[in-house]
Amino acid sequence: MIELVNITKSYDGKINVIEDLNLHIDKGEIVVLIGESGCGKTTTLRMLNRLNEPTSGTVMIDGEDYTKMSKIELRRQLGYVIQKVGLMPHLTVGKNIEIIPELKGWDKKKRKDRAFELLELVDLPPEDYYDRYPHELSGGQQQRIGVARALAVNPDIILMDEPFSALDPITREQLQKELLKLQDELEKTIVFVTHDMDEALKIGDRIAVMKDGKILQYDTPEEILKNPANDFVEYFVGKDRLWKSPEMLKAEDIMHKSLVTVGQKRSPAQVIEVMKRKDMEILFIVEKETSKPQPPIGYITRDNLREQGDHNVKMSKICNKDFVTVQHDSKMTDVLRIMEDNNARYLPVLDDDGNLIGMITTASILNLITKAVVDEEESQ
Amino acid sequence: MNDLNFFQFVASRYEELLGLTLQHIQITGLAVLLAILLGVPVGIWISKNKKIRSPILGIANIFQTIPSLALFGLIIPLLGTGYVPSVFVLFLYALLPIIKNTFIGINSVDEAIIDAGRGMGMTSKQILTKVEIPLALPVIMGGIRISTVINIGTATIAALIGAGGLGEMIFKGISMASNNMVLAGAVPTALLAISVDKLLGMFETKLTPEGITSQKDDVQNK
Repeated sequence: MIELVNITKSYDGKINVIEDLNLHIDKGEIVVLIGESGCGKTTTLRMLNRLNEPTSGTVMIDGEDYTKMSKIELRRQLGYVIQKVGLMPHLTVGKNIEIIPELKGWDKKKRKDRAFELLELVDLPPEDYYDRYPHELSGGQQQRIGVARALAVNPDIILMDEPFSALDPITREQLQKELLKLQDELEKTIVFVTHDMDEALKIGDRIAVMKDGKILQYDTPEEILKNPANDFVEYFVGKDRLWKSPEMLKAEDIMHKSLVTVGQKRSPAQVIEVMKRKDMEILFIVEKETSKPQPPIGYITRDNLREQGDHNVKMSKICNKDFVTVQHDSKMTDVLRIMEDNNARYLPVLDDDGNLIGMITTASILNLITKAVVDEEESQ
Repeated sequence: MNDLNFFQFVASRYEELLGLTLQHIQITGLAVLLAILLGVPVGIWISKNKKIRSPILGIANIFQTIPSLALFGLIIPLLGTGYVPSVFVLFLYALLPIIKNTFIGINSVDEAIIDAGRGMGMTSKQILTKVEIPLALPVIMGGIRISTVINIGTATIAALIGAGGLGEMIFKGISMASNNMVLAGAVPTALLAISVDKLLGMFETKLTPEGITSQKDDVQNK
């Protein structure tokens, strides 16, 4: 657990590059610091291992003020991965990984075993890579070694400063995936700096959006997307981002909320009247017509009503009771699959208590696509 | 004596020449050694301390720009003549390339490597000895090589203030108008400079860490 309390940082004693910053990072979570260049994200990260010293305020690691430890001791307890990797060119891959173990006085066998284990972990066969030199490796492979090196003495906390920014998009994506896989295995606390929102959304358990040395919003990726705290966050996230990340979208985000329902005791004539007035092809039947959400009993279409001869029959008798529903927090991708599998044009959305709160129609899907496309055109 | 050709002359003065050559090596060797002992630490020091960097490099530059002949003359009132003042002047000449190259070598180590080292918990001393010096070593060696070669040439002038060495043969030859004698001093000096340069070059290659040597090969192959 890391806690930054009222941190202020000034390089020249005049301008505060970090202004009264508070941040709480739980054990085992990946927190992403994101912002434009100069927002203080890297400065904040570097204050965690005291490469930069806070001008005022305290940093607590596992409840203890970190100045109680020596800088060297502290840094050896925190893994550190940087954009330019910074492997020692005169040392082999193995020796690079073993730098800190060696300085800590581990014996040769223990060091080598650890290096092999770590190379295995980052998917580089140790027999092939242990004795090679950094310049013989691609950028992606070098950063894998960078990650392995950071894990060498098994620190609980890893600091990563734009570790994948210099890599090509394909390698970057691969390493992001592997980092997440690694995290599932190791459960480290990771503080990750990036300027890339896609990366932040993919990797972060929580994201801190920074500007001018302040944290504007510190939230889960979903909350940042759906409820940006202010205009800057919204601008920074990108208006269209939500619509382009179907995995972030849920049924309730795209459903029609202005729902028209009819009570089960209505007659066909009344229902047709409502349909005409509201220009609907389909209506859901509930027990009573109130403004309170209720569970759906069934649905009725215009065609059903046209075929109906008995003018006094109640809706509860003639409505279709066989229909699929989705929960309000179902993922967009699941919603699409359900619609396709059931060939459903209408999908009622239920809240946690099984009450009808909205409806997804093919038109909602069309809206969604239009939104994404139009936003993209606007942003170009 | 003028009847002898160059090779006969050398053969006849074989022992004297050998003695002078050894003396020559001794003077320059000692001067360079002292320059290394002072120059490398000073070079490291100024790479870490910006404030003193330009004054130190300035002073070293000044010594380099004074004509050697003048410097040997200027030293006489201070230290007199003979072995000690000669070595001292040569030492001053050797100093600049060593200080400068050490500084450049240390200073040109990629900042990212230092940052990574510091960030993972290496002390400044560990970074210096395990990262900066190994990486700067080829450049530092280059400075030592330049110093030595320049010094072998300059040391001939040191004969003027009684240092001995091959310069003695050259000056004697000039005063006696004997080309053979001048050449007998100059040719071994040149040969000495060339062979020492080669030798130090080999040493430099050997000192260059493997990861960097192969890196250079890579670049050349590309």
